Amino acid sequence: MTIRVFDPTNEASPAAGAEAPRLISLHGTTIGFISNGKEGTKEFFTHLGGMLEAEHGVAKVVHRIKSNYSAPADKHIVDEIRSWHAVVTGIGD
Amino acid sequence: MPMLQLKSRSYEVDDLLSAQEFYHAKGWTDGLPIVPPTEDAVRACLDGVGLPPDRVIGIESVREQSVTAEKLAINAVMAGCLPMHFPVVVAAWKAMLTEEFLLHGTTSSTGGCAVLVIINGPIRRQIGASGGFNALANSDRATACIGRAIRLGLINILDVRPGGIDRSTLGHPGKFSYCIAEDEEDTTWTPLGEMRGVPKGVSSVTVMASMAPRQLMNEWTHAPEEILETFAAEMRGSQRHYSIYGGNQVVVIPKQLRDIIQAAGWSKADIGRFLYERARIKRSEWGDVGKGAVVRDRGESVYIALDRPESCLVVAAGGPAGGFGAVIAPWMGHKTKAVTVPIGACTDRDPNEQEHP
Repeated sequence: MTIRVFDPTNEASPAAGAEAPRLISLHGTTIGFISNGKEGTKEFFTHLGGMLEAEHGVAKVVHRIKSNYSAPADKHIVDEIRSWHAVVTGIGD
Repeated sequence: MPMLQLKSRSYEVDDLLSAQEFYHAKGWTDGLPIVPPTEDAVRACLDGVGLPPDRVIGIESVREQSVTAEKLAINAVMAGCLPMHFPVVVAAWKAMLTEEFLLHGTTSSTGGCAVLVIINGPIRRQIGASGGFNALANSDRATACIGRAIRLGLINILDVRPGGIDRSTLGHPGKFSYCIAEDEEDTTWTPLGEMRGVPKGVSSVTVMASMAPRQLMNEWTHAPEEILETFAAEMRGSQRHYSIYGGNQVVVIPKQLRDIIQAAGWSKADIGRFLYERARIKRSEWGDVGKGAVVRDRGESVYIALDRPESCLVVAAGGPAGGFGAVIAPWMGHKTKAVTVPIGACTDRDPNEQEHP
């Protein structure tokens, strides 16, 4: 005789987000960097932002840091994303 | 009234051993054998708390994952829980799914904490949860299974698997099971749940994102201040070696040391105030332990292990002999907060909502 057993996982899938449109060029754009606040992001993001401006024609680089590195980005940062053309984010571990 | 169908996908397995291999192969275990979650066993858990299978216990907001009673019951059965244990599991999840607990952050962090569950009130005795010998480990069936149910639920319902959502560098053994009951019968102190606002005589759970317990020893004094100074020193050590930021701290005080502190008239609130004053370091002390690079110009800044005296969660637990105690540090200071909820309360209500006349 067999045993009937049940799936313990969350079979319901969360709503999928839509992919943002891709940029054709970085020239003249505003690029936002969102750091999780850890040390490892600081030097790397600063350097990368400088490269984007110097070598790829980015007009403006904005650096923002989350107030809690283990929580989603603060609302004021998320709201600000609308004024950027693209976002670079990452963790500093 | 017709019973609602369980909505989870079901599978047929040949026997008990086949069930083990099936669940392990699916990645649905913590590495240990599980109890096959049959319909009768899952329904018994749900019937015990009077919840329909589709009742949403809460939502993990970062990944928009709902947690239903049915999924909690399946994982609780797998963990070895009996129906009488399930109310504690449900209450613990309600607490974990409050915003201040920061469930996604605490379970995905490289910091590797576990969810500590502390049980208070009459339900402890009804389910055989012991706060005596070996309180922080395998003291009894109830705490072992309830703690394991929390971890299996995280693994299966929220994908908190090592290398998946769980990015822990090390983790600690409490991630198998981390549940204790307060020894309310052998102390004059107010139970933790009551200290945190649950009415007297009502059962409760308190959850905290916790590091491993760190055991200390001081059996050479009868001065409460000296005993508690050892606890403060442990907190200071953790601030130096692990995280400098203050938050909740669990202080477990077994009978031998507890009797001395109680006899001197100290309450739990007194202990919290003492440790709030004594468990603090200057940032410059990081320089003593190899972290001088991040002291910068803030060497004189003072950091307190508790963000306020009331954040000290004193728990009477442990065997009757031995001048030991334990401090359980928070995952990362005040970024997460311990949450206490009553057991068996209406699941549609926010446990933090205040009653207004």
